[in-house]
Amino acid sequence: MNTKQTIAIIGANGSMGSAISRNLAKGNNRLLLFANDKEKAEALAADIKNSNAASEVEALDCPANASWEADLIILAVPYAAEKEIAGTIREVANQKIVISISNPLNASFDALVTDPGTSAAEELQLLLPHSKVVKAFNTTFASDFTTPVIAGQQADAFVAGNDDEAVATVSDLVTTAGFNPIAAGKLPVSRTLEQMQLLLIQLGLKNNYNWLAGWKILHH
Amino acid sequence: MFEVFLRSFNEKVPLTPEEETFLKQYLTPKKLRKKQYLLQEGDVCKHICLVEKGALKAYLVDDKGDEQITAFALEGWTIADLSSFFKQTPATLNIDALEDCELILISRPAHDELLERFPKYGNYIRMLITDAYVALQQRVVNTLHLSVDERYIAFQQMCESIFQRVPQHMIASFMGLSPETLSRVRSRLSGKK
Repeated sequence: MNTKQTIAIIGANGSMGSAISRNLAKGNNRLLLFANDKEKAEALAADIKNSNAASEVEALDCPANASWEADLIILAVPYAAEKEIAGTIREVANQKIVISISNPLNASFDALVTDPGTSAAEELQLLLPHSKVVKAFNTTFASDFTTPVIAGQQADAFVAGNDDEAVATVSDLVTTAGFNPIAAGKLPVSRTLEQMQLLLIQLGLKNNYNWLAGWKILHH
Repeated sequence: MFEVFLRSFNEKVPLTPEEETFLKQYLTPKKLRKKQYLLQEGDVCKHICLVEKGALKAYLVDDKGDEQITAFALEGWTIADLSSFFKQTPATLNIDALEDCELILISRPAHDELLERFPKYGNYIRMLITDAYVALQQRVVNTLHLSVDERYIAFQQMCESIFQRVPQHMIASFMGLSPETLSRVRSRLSGKK
């Protein structure tokens, strides 16, 4: 595609938000960064520009304005913050792809706080009924973005959503970010994806993966 | 955010408040800054665009790299590469913003679903495309039958607002004239006043 895609990254100052921003700036994307602390978003934008002068990246001070201008919105915020942000961007996110990256972990990282019959992504879809919510980047750690090839294998990144075109668009972003995209199914598959990351976190803590780990489907 | 579009819709096809709410769920609000592209040649045109605020132009780029403007769009107007939108083929037009814009976009899936589920949308689109076709026919007739001076006057009378917001070299491009020729036309006409 020749036309540059504008992406709003809400929560760009977090470890995941900044990792996603850095990697997506390498593609044909224009990034609008929002963080509660604008100075941090500005510092990240300046840092990305320093390492890649051709990149188009800018810090904005309002998540609704960033989302209004965007073609696609990434909510790189914790699960607990999604409800408030969804209320702020609801109208301007109409018909747009909204990526949910969150994992609804409890404080001790040993269980999810969502009911088994739903997921963070499905809850977000209920809050943004006229947006196309897509689950992505929730099975990858922030440090994977600088090292998406782990032990000689490119990490898979799973994408789930109800709109096939939206899943294809997000899969392209996953490729830009350096991972191997796998279209995993409709949005309820997020329940499995969020549980997968819970398992990976628990295994990482137990086996000291040092937050550099990922999923890979091996097949012939 | 949706005011200009809904006003334009209501003027053609009156809506109840419930119908406005139903229609709004299919609309994509989008801001575009001056000089940014809405569409670039070679991509499939994914949206019909309705201008809430600002101005855009659609144009071809010729072999010499010069822009040949095919359309302008101001508040309440519609712009798209319709051939690309309906046939889902690569666009031949570029569309970019002449000013900071607030737009309403209707995607192809939203368009198709609205046609199926909401007959008033079908009526609105039919009127919109009829108006566009009539304007296109008038432009062809004017190009073939009027002198350059007459075409300038006709265009100015029909679209006074464009003349106030768009530089003269773009008016010249839209009329298929060089800026020098347009300047001579303007001098001749101002001499007649």
